Amino acid sequence: MKKNILRMSLVLVTATMLLIACKKDKPGEGNDEEVITTMNLRFTPVSGGTSFTYTFDDPDGPGGSAPTKNVITLDASVTYNVQVTLLNKTVDPVEDITTEVIAEATSHRFYYEPSTSSAFVVNNLNNDANGVALGTTSQWTTGTTGLGTIKVTLRHYPGNPPNKEAADPVNSPKSDTDIEVTFNTAIL
Amino acid sequence: MGVWMANGQQCILELKGHIEDADSKQKLAGATVFIDSLGIELVTDDKGDFVFKNLCAGTYRLRISHVGCETIEQNIVLTKSRHVDINLPHLKNTLSEVTINAMAGIQNTGTKAELTGKALDITKGENLAEALSRINGVSMLQTGSTISKPVIHGLHSNRILTINNGVRQEGQQWGNEHAPEIDPYIAGKLTVIKGVDELKYGSDAIGGVILVDPKPLLGSPGYNAELNAGYFTNNKLYVLSGMYEQQLKTLPAFTYRIQGTYRKAANVATPNYRLNNTGLEEQNFSITAGWKKHQLNSELFYSFFNTQLGIFNGAHIGNLSDLSDAIANDRPDPVFTGQQTYSIERPRQEARHQILKSKTFLQKGKHKYSLLLAAQINDRKEFDIVRNSNNLKPQLDVSLVTFSEEITREWLTGNAFTHTAGITSMQQENQYAGRYFIPNYKSLNLGGYYIVKWNKEKWDIQTGIRFDQKNIRTNRLLADSIVFDEYNFNFATLGASFNAGYTFSKQLKINGTVTLATRAPHVNELLSNGIHHGTATFEVGNINLKEEQSLNSSINAIWSNKSETFSVQGTLYRNQINNFIYQQPKPNEPVLTIAGAFPKWVYQQNDAVISGTDIATRLQPLKQLSFTVKYSMLRAKNTDLNDWLIRMPADRINSELNWDFEDGKRLSKTFLSVGLLYTAEQTRVPDEKNGAQDYKDVPAQYTLVNASFGTTVAMFKLPVTISITARNMFNVVYRDYLNSMRYFTDEMGRNIQFRLKVPLKNLQ
Repeated sequence: MKKNILRMSLVLVTATMLLIACKKDKPGEGNDEEVITTMNLRFTPVSGGTSFTYTFDDPDGPGGSAPTKNVITLDASVTYNVQVTLLNKTVDPVEDITTEVIAEATSHRFYYEPSTSSAFVVNNLNNDANGVALGTTSQWTTGTTGLGTIKVTLRHYPGNPPNKEAADPVNSPKSDTDIEVTFNTAIL
Repeated sequence: MGVWMANGQQCILELKGHIEDADSKQKLAGATVFIDSLGIELVTDDKGDFVFKNLCAGTYRLRISHVGCETIEQNIVLTKSRHVDINLPHLKNTLSEVTINAMAGIQNTGTKAELTGKALDITKGENLAEALSRINGVSMLQTGSTISKPVIHGLHSNRILTINNGVRQEGQQWGNEHAPEIDPYIAGKLTVIKGVDELKYGSDAIGGVILVDPKPLLGSPGYNAELNAGYFTNNKLYVLSGMYEQQLKTLPAFTYRIQGTYRKAANVATPNYRLNNTGLEEQNFSITAGWKKHQLNSELFYSFFNTQLGIFNGAHIGNLSDLSDAIANDRPDPVFTGQQTYSIERPRQEARHQILKSKTFLQKGKHKYSLLLAAQINDRKEFDIVRNSNNLKPQLDVSLVTFSEEITREWLTGNAFTHTAGITSMQQENQYAGRYFIPNYKSLNLGGYYIVKWNKEKWDIQTGIRFDQKNIRTNRLLADSIVFDEYNFNFATLGASFNAGYTFSKQLKINGTVTLATRAPHVNELLSNGIHHGTATFEVGNINLKEEQSLNSSINAIWSNKSETFSVQGTLYRNQINNFIYQQPKPNEPVLTIAGAFPKWVYQQNDAVISGTDIATRLQPLKQLSFTVKYSMLRAKNTDLNDWLIRMPADRINSELNWDFEDGKRLSKTFLSVGLLYTAEQTRVPDEKNGAQDYKDVPAQYTLVNASFGTTVAMFKLPVTISITARNMFNVVYRDYLNSMRYFTDEMGRNIQFRLKVPLKNLQ
């Protein structure tokens, strides 16, 4: 009888082994490909002159080290062309997410909301193929000097079709937040 | 021959019987006699006698068991009322029971509650937690109506062990939105146990143990098949489940069973709106093969569980501002409601669980040895709403492989002592891909236990002890495969339990239990680190957590009057938990990310006490009429902070009026029942003065009316059981405190459930 048990166990151990053998191999850490670590805002005066960049940067992604954030400092009474670049720095080489957003322009939208005290306006957002704002580029026009904030939000429409419309508010239930960064601003 | 013969006959027959020990000729009081097909169980009286009344003519299969005796199965052909004498062999080759507690008998297992027979049938098509919530003291933790987890006396997830056909189920059960991966159709019986028998499965069952046990395999040549079908109107759920088992005449040592279930549901409707993306689809099957010859009994079991679940997309939240917007609404935005479809989109979950198990018993005189080997693979994929529509990958992808081995020995000494000793080991490997939430880990567990039960006349004393040693090695890799973080942990955990039961008379039994359980912190509590999508929180583990230890005392009494027309069962418990691990919101330390600031929740420990009572009364003024009232009450306190614990079940009263009709010419076992379920508002929630602990006010109390009608009709000479149940009959709008979707939506509205059961038997 003992022999029987032994034989039975052997069969089972073998079966178990087979089960393991079928187990798939996973790569180490497939990093979260959805991560955006960095937002660069590149400012170029419309009248010409050197460009400069302000950044929100969280190179290790959410958690870990705290992100760094520049204060957006602009000259008074100037109009700037502003271009957004989004990066994922958790992968090597660094991934440019902006191209992805532009490729799916009809389901993405940037919103720029300066505080009332900030003394500048944002307009002339670029559009998607349907003529609805996309906002990867925009124009910021400063007035007199002042301190304030600006909230930059990237919304993403998961629906199919996305049904993105010009009148959609920033908190439209049709879209989700991918980015929400509030910069301090100083017009000098 | 042997097929049902009720057609045209009245069901008024009686089956009387007398049970004796085959060797000592002693009358066996307290033996249980179970009729499989009816799900009726009787216990023999002091003289070893039992009576089944109101039976139809036909063939019945009896399963008779008694402490220290062989469990036997016997077919009885009933054409007129008759008396049978049954001799139970005194433990020679007691092998027909597959479950480990075969020798322990049925009524002497300390604190336990079961769902079987008709009570279980009426839950078919629902998920495991929904079925278990019929048991007094068990409630549900939900994420919408498709994801439910059982909660025993306020505790859930890793504090409960779920034993699936003898195997300790190992998946990602730490997550509140991770439902147990078990097909309820596999079960012939669902049992919740506390106390001494917990120790067979682990030292860490702080909340209790759930046993999901299939019916025993066939004990005599022939075949048995059963087809179950169901349709639920609310979410157009349909379910089909079939089972076929056979024992060959030519090879009676070999028995097998195959079983499979398919379940699919469309979106769920609340009374006022239908919730998009709340469908589900499930495919399960299992194969069991048994070999029984002489003293050797062996069983091989494989089960496959596969589910896909949609998650209501109005509750999938990218950041805190979105969450506040969604919660502020009284009802979800129309963008998220109104679709009636079976299709499942992101956000969704896929979970797959496979078990391969073998169990072998060897009986030698008064000793029984068993060897259990099991392998499990749990794969869980969670698909979030993603930015890039070309992304087909899951965002959370974890797979857990578990091997477990167990050797046990059961033996008898004297006439009254049953001993069980076991050595168990378990090896696990967890791997993840995609977003980090918990690390890769390997864990090793080695444990041993000893239980002794003494059962004589009016006393039932049991005690046991268990020790486990657990080693966990974790690592987290970066994309370039350089080890990034490595933590190792060692935990030693002790479990012990003492149970004493005393039968004062046939009318009064009292049982008391004291159990010590120790649970090692789980990897998610130690090392989780990341955004919990759906709740918009940033969860942080704590590597300094210590073992959680509970001392649970309970006393249970059953009293009935002489005529057994009135009975009361009451349980009083107090669970003192030291180093209780819970998540504490840290409103002043938000985690800033590019998607905005997330509230930080950290794991921490405090002492807690959970105490409460479950009371059930039953009044049967007429033979046909019964009225039951079940009340459960629980109080859970953080004793260090002198504050209530969050997310604990509110008081509940569940009452039911049931009328059993006299069996007629064509219809038998006909019943009509109406139930009233009252759930109070949970007023005992953490004090907000320590910072916001919850997003929304606690939902109000609610009362639901449920009704059921069922009958068995002889069709083509088969006893076909049909039942109709209306859940939330009056389409009441309500929200439940333990459902995380309460922030966003109402609960499911009226649901009419149709069920059909067709058995097909041919046994000798």
